[in-house]
Amino acid sequence: MCESNVYLDRAGHKELLMESVDRIIPAEDGNIFMESIFGERKVVRARIKEMELVHHRIILEEIDKPEVVDRHPEIWLEPDTDHGHFHAGEEVVLKLSKGYNMKADAGAAYSALEAFAVNEGNVSQVHVHDHHGNKEINLGQEADGLLQIYVHEQGTRELYAKVVMEIGHHHHHGLQPLGLPLEIIPTDYSHARMGESYEIQVMQNGQLLVGAEVKVTYASTRSKDYPHRLTTNEEGKCKVFLSGRGNYLFSVAAQGISSTFTLVKSF
Amino acid sequence: MCKDLPPLERAIQFHGHICPGLLMGVRVAEFAQKHLGVNQDIDEELLAIVETNSCGVDAIQSILGCTFGKGNLIFKDYGKNVYTIASREKNSAVRIAQVYREQKSPESIRYRQLNSKGHLTEEEEAEREELLACIFEQTMSAPFAELFNWQDVELDFPEKAQIHATVQCAICGEGVMDSKTVTGPQGYVCPDCLQAKEASINV
Repeated sequence: MCESNVYLDRAGHKELLMESVDRIIPAEDGNIFMESIFGERKVVRARIKEMELVHHRIILEEIDKPEVVDRHPEIWLEPDTDHGHFHAGEEVVLKLSKGYNMKADAGAAYSALEAFAVNEGNVSQVHVHDHHGNKEINLGQEADGLLQIYVHEQGTRELYAKVVMEIGHHHHHGLQPLGLPLEIIPTDYSHARMGESYEIQVMQNGQLLVGAEVKVTYASTRSKDYPHRLTTNEEGKCKVFLSGRGNYLFSVAAQGISSTFTLVKSF
Repeated sequence: MCKDLPPLERAIQFHGHICPGLLMGVRVAEFAQKHLGVNQDIDEELLAIVETNSCGVDAIQSILGCTFGKGNLIFKDYGKNVYTIASREKNSAVRIAQVYREQKSPESIRYRQLNSKGHLTEEEEAEREELLACIFEQTMSAPFAELFNWQDVELDFPEKAQIHATVQCAICGEGVMDSKTVTGPQGYVCPDCLQAKEASINV
């Protein structure tokens, strides 16, 4: 048998997942990694049901999603604007929240918070203040450019929250990893839009994090838990199709650290 | 930046929500723009003849700018997901018809089941959201030829929408387009008053 077509059996209905697959790697966590001769890659939560070697067909069967055990609180940042970016001269305010699946816990306590804004490699510490019981970062009206803002909370778990903010016009370049111990990086920063896929990369201490579970949710979801659970490929990357309204939150956890990245959808 | 909403976002804002029908309309509108080499209509350069009044038509209106108000959206009540999009400037038109499928996807069947229920539980709402996400991805990433058939057609373009004078209805006193009135002994009568008058005679 050379390459095969891989199908997913969903309640008796076989759906073509990928053509001309020449590599399949089952992982212990129930995921199957596959790669085609054309370089396309996918990770699916399934098990191999049948292999028809003569017909070059591999049939996978979906397996149930695992019970969620990791519901540690996370922190995340969102801009206080409804259209995804700030204009030059506009007051730039970011809200910091703590909770799970973008459902903020209003009474959450914070400890040892520190925040930074990074603009083209220049790092400046910014202040997290209380505003009517909420945590906010106010960068004032002078900020301009493609800024990366991140917050670090040193508690029983180490929490990081990062967001990329476009302030002014057409800043689509110069985005570099910040070097956080655990960091989610958009692979090609651009305006994220519904109906398109968005790819991120995960790095741990400057190294690609392969096989990590990345949870993805969005502000308008009705799901109690994260609606998407992805696994990073050999390049530490994974991709999600943006079908929901509002900002998206990517979350990854490893070695006592939880790190989030807020994808702010821009019009 | 703020002015240039992506087509999908324009359609969602116009329609009010996301649904499979709207997404199919988005695919049609985007295909027609590319196929005909046209941009969003400003003043009746484009014409859309739609054979349905379902959700997809709102994508035609919001993305192509062929709108009910401008008069360059012609509705034929045939109950078919068929759209003819035409460009006056290029003197070209394309007829796009949704491929009929006997067998619906399991996601579509379940989505319809949930949609037809009056009240959904929290779990069902979440399930519907997941199903829509799945249908969303399928619809936006499927090759166009899997979803629609199309062919270039010749079209006798109707005249652009006419602007008529407004006159006063002799019965209700309201303004009415003169081409829609009938003239009686009292003067101009609007269709509404004419209908009421005819109904009273028939009684």
